Amino acid sequence: MDSLQFLAEAATPADFAAARTQMAFTLGFHIILASIGIGLPAITLLAEWRSLRTGDPVYRELARRWMKAAGVLFAVGAVSGTVLSFEMGTLWPGFMDTYGQVFGTAFALEGIAFFIEAVFMGVYLYGWDRLSPVAHFVTGIPVVIAGLLSATFVVTVNSWMNQPRGFRLVDGEVTDVDPLAAMFNPATPVQAVHLLLASLMVCGFVVASVYAVALLRDRRAGRDDRYHRLGFAIPFTLGAVCAPLQVLVGDWAVRFVADNQPIKFAAMEGVEHTQAGVPFKFAVFEIPNALSLLLRFDAGATLRGLDSFPADVHPPAEVVRFAFEIMIVIGMALLALAAWWAFAWWRRRESLPWHPWFLRAAATAGVLAAIAMEAGWTVTEVGRQPWIVYGVMRTEEAVNPSEGLRFGLYVVLAVYAVLGAATISVLRRMRRPAPAERKELAG
Amino acid sequence: MSYADAALGLILLGLSAYLLFGGADFGAGLWHLLARRRPAERAVIEHAMGPLWEANHVWLIFVMVMTWTAFPPVFAAVMTAHWVPLSLAALGIVARGSTFVFSKAVPERRWYAWTFGVSSVVTPYCMGAVAAALATGRSDWLSPTGLYGGLLTTALCGYLAAVYLVWDARRLSPGSVGWFRARALAAGVAVGVLALPGAALFGVGSPLILLSAAAGLTSLVLLAGRRYLAVRVTAGLAVGAVLWGAAGLADLGLHDAAAHDAVLRIVFIALGAGAVILVPSLAWLYVLFQRGPARA
Repeated sequence: MDSLQFLAEAATPADFAAARTQMAFTLGFHIILASIGIGLPAITLLAEWRSLRTGDPVYRELARRWMKAAGVLFAVGAVSGTVLSFEMGTLWPGFMDTYGQVFGTAFALEGIAFFIEAVFMGVYLYGWDRLSPVAHFVTGIPVVIAGLLSATFVVTVNSWMNQPRGFRLVDGEVTDVDPLAAMFNPATPVQAVHLLLASLMVCGFVVASVYAVALLRDRRAGRDDRYHRLGFAIPFTLGAVCAPLQVLVGDWAVRFVADNQPIKFAAMEGVEHTQAGVPFKFAVFEIPNALSLLLRFDAGATLRGLDSFPADVHPPAEVVRFAFEIMIVIGMALLALAAWWAFAWWRRRESLPWHPWFLRAAATAGVLAAIAMEAGWTVTEVGRQPWIVYGVMRTEEAVNPSEGLRFGLYVVLAVYAVLGAATISVLRRMRRPAPAERKELAG
Repeated sequence: MSYADAALGLILLGLSAYLLFGGADFGAGLWHLLARRRPAERAVIEHAMGPLWEANHVWLIFVMVMTWTAFPPVFAAVMTAHWVPLSLAALGIVARGSTFVFSKAVPERRWYAWTFGVSSVVTPYCMGAVAAALATGRSDWLSPTGLYGGLLTTALCGYLAAVYLVWDARRLSPGSVGWFRARALAAGVAVGVLALPGAALFGVGSPLILLSAAAGLTSLVLLAGRRYLAVRVTAGLAVGAVLWGAAGLADLGLHDAAAHDAVLRIVFIALGAGAVILVPSLAWLYVLFQRGPARA
């Protein structure tokens, strides 16, 4: 029978592609939620702290609103993160079979951090009326710390996939496992800092963009709503502070990749041939010798090109380069926007740049930051291909051999489409205050 | 005791906690579905689950992480062989968790609550079907054994939830106590009728059958006698014994699959250090929301 024949085959190329697409899609979804899940409790606490210090009801209302949004986003983030844990096994059993024990410690630590985060999130969300204001504020602190730690532990696994350490491979079996060496591999510091800053930027700019839209509406209506101004200023400042730091860390990351994953670097920068005095290419522009100069501080330095590697270890270079350029362009745009904000702040604190063009740009900054996050993640992940563990295990060796993974992908895509739409719809609904609350705030 | 034994013990402990706490949250979803026109009972369920379900859910993560770290080939083999029901369970977890908070935020959207209820039933069913397949080692999730495991697990969750919710109802909505109590009694009888013959058929060790039966009967007596706090313990024991009995049947070749001692040692140290913070926090969470109503 046709269908039995179809079942007898091992994972087809279509299933392999489906597994990769599903992982990329679900991780790409989770990474945005996780970013907001890390940053939102932090700005919520900031607002709550100001409310405690000043007794200002606007800060209190902001804290209460953000807390509620954080509650929804944390739940969706927690369950979408669980899907990833399942997918590690259902999609990539070969990877888990061989290497699960090498990086498992990081996930155990992540599990503890996430547990603590979930416990205190429960207390924080539902303790608003049960705890004293100060105690409530204090229970939020472990949420922020555990969120940052849990993200860091997860990133150590990804950095390990890029710089595998802490084991020896003998006849396909791992021996001499050193979980700490795996966790603290050379890529961990730069990847962790880069990702945490990116998360805070995504959260800051996304939340600020919501209020930028509200401020534009206020402008048109000739209103001045302090709630919207503060709701904008707190998250935007967080994003703006991280933006210049991220440019520096990004530079560190590029140099790290150039030294440790030269093929990824060649793909990112579009270096086709090994040569001396490599030009810096960006979109259609080309500056002679600039890449050599930027990277090695020597205009004549020789850099390895893609052609110095065998064809069967090339990543899809065009995708990597395109994603890299998107990330750079957005990073620079956000830096410029942050500079505008800082300049206005320095000039006159009271009249922050409520220029309509600033607000319009700020309204798009949230989406841009999220795109930059996805692009940067594409650079890391697609740039590592064809390896799941760089230089050691190919992605196709790791995939579940079962037939039919692509049907799983279709279901996942459908569920996540509804989930994403519902999350946005719920958050939009929550943004509208009940009439009674609105009156109370005004009065 | 070897490191692998200790790791297995921790996994079983985590699974027990997941069944007793996370399982009850699934069961609460089942009752939420069945209480369609009963706002008071629904409110009790939402109130009881609200602050706790996310922490309860983390036990599953703990079990998965421990399994892939301590017994990586077993994790890989189980996930490969049962990827369909486990993927459905994962999507059920997504649907359950997100629609629970969505429905709280936007109560007028009815399909959120409906999805919450349905996914709360589908998820433990899929997990139970896989568990039965693993325990007996000779079937897949669509076989009669899988069907039995799925139904039994869902019923266990429903039973636990009803038992726990009687106590919550006493505090939150005294008028709902009778509704949950009746369901706890009925579910207790149903689960006993479902579990005990199966256990005998599959050859579960008799001390565990006896323990489960004795704890189950005691629970019925306690429920009848309105001892709502004590029954939480005996019901948990009755359900836990079912899990341990099933685990005793399983032969997954764990010892050949164990990770290196160097790995397990560090994992144990990490868990020990984490437990110092985690255990008191968890205890505080449970106590805080079991105390009287919120400050006005």
